[in-house]
Amino acid sequence: MSADINGIREAIAAIFIACGAIFFIVSAIGILRLPDFYARLHASGNSETMGVMLSFIGLIIYEGATITSLKMVFVFLILFFANPIGTHILSKAAYKSRHKVWTIKEISAIKALLEQKEEDQHADLHN
Amino acid sequence: MEKQEQGIFNDKNIVGSPRGHIARLFIALFIFWLGLSGTIEPKIIFYGVIASAVTALVTYPLLLVDSEDKTKKYFIFDVFKYKFACYAFWLLWQLILANVHVMRTICDADLPINPRIVRFYFRMDNPVAATLLANSITLTPGTVTVNVEDDGLFEIHALTDFTAEGVLDGSMQAKIADLFGEKFDFDPLPDEEGE
Repeated sequence: MSADINGIREAIAAIFIACGAIFFIVSAIGILRLPDFYARLHASGNSETMGVMLSFIGLIIYEGATITSLKMVFVFLILFFANPIGTHILSKAAYKSRHKVWTIKEISAIKALLEQKEEDQHADLHN
Repeated sequence: MEKQEQGIFNDKNIVGSPRGHIARLFIALFIFWLGLSGTIEPKIIFYGVIASAVTALVTYPLLLVDSEDKTKKYFIFDVFKYKFACYAFWLLWQLILANVHVMRTICDADLPINPRIVRFYFRMDNPVAATLLANSITLTPGTVTVNVEDDGLFEIHALTDFTAEGVLDGSMQAKIADLFGEKFDFDPLPDEEGE
């Protein structure tokens, strides 16, 4: 009987930890795909909230109502208050040193430039 | 030492009662001690009481912040009340929504992002409100507080249109103002065309 309950609990814990891992993977993909420094900070925010939260819930379910779970809750709360401060300081340092913000306009400007070049090449070929 | 404590206890500028604040700080620290030690041995508990009391008394003056016109002093942890729990759960729900949104944006083949900086003014007497707002915005994926000026100008980097609207619609600001029970100034600034 108790083995059954333990098995169910471990299964639920595994599901939560796996969901957390999905968020970590997505955040890694985001860091690779997004264009500039500021945008990449958003991707890291994805893992440090939901990823950490789901992993910790899974670990707490796995551990049960013990003193270790309580310590995990403490770590989780401190992480939740301290993490945004780190992100904010990084972005503020970048902003104060006038790091350029990537906008959607740049990509259209680059596209226009490329088209212009292609047209020029065509014109050269025909001449 | 004696004089300094007298000064703190009789300071009329502090909002709320200093004794109550120190008592709450002491209880919070003592619960933290119990959680970390995990034993109920009398010796350990005795050490815990002494350590929590000394820490509460010594750090209390550091946990006071001046209001904007420096006539009042607010206790930083005065926020953590029953209302704060409601706000925390609301924020948690917002976090889940924003997380799913950012996840779908990142995994989309077209990468439909529109990163830009949005600005708004938010003024409140209590500086803890600005801190809490900046922290909540940064915690929500898709928005990062880039800069906060002394006059209440918030500069937020938003990843997509959806998250930018979420910051500018003022619901989070209204919730935080409700948390402190004060009036607040909020006005979003229009997007600046061209940097």
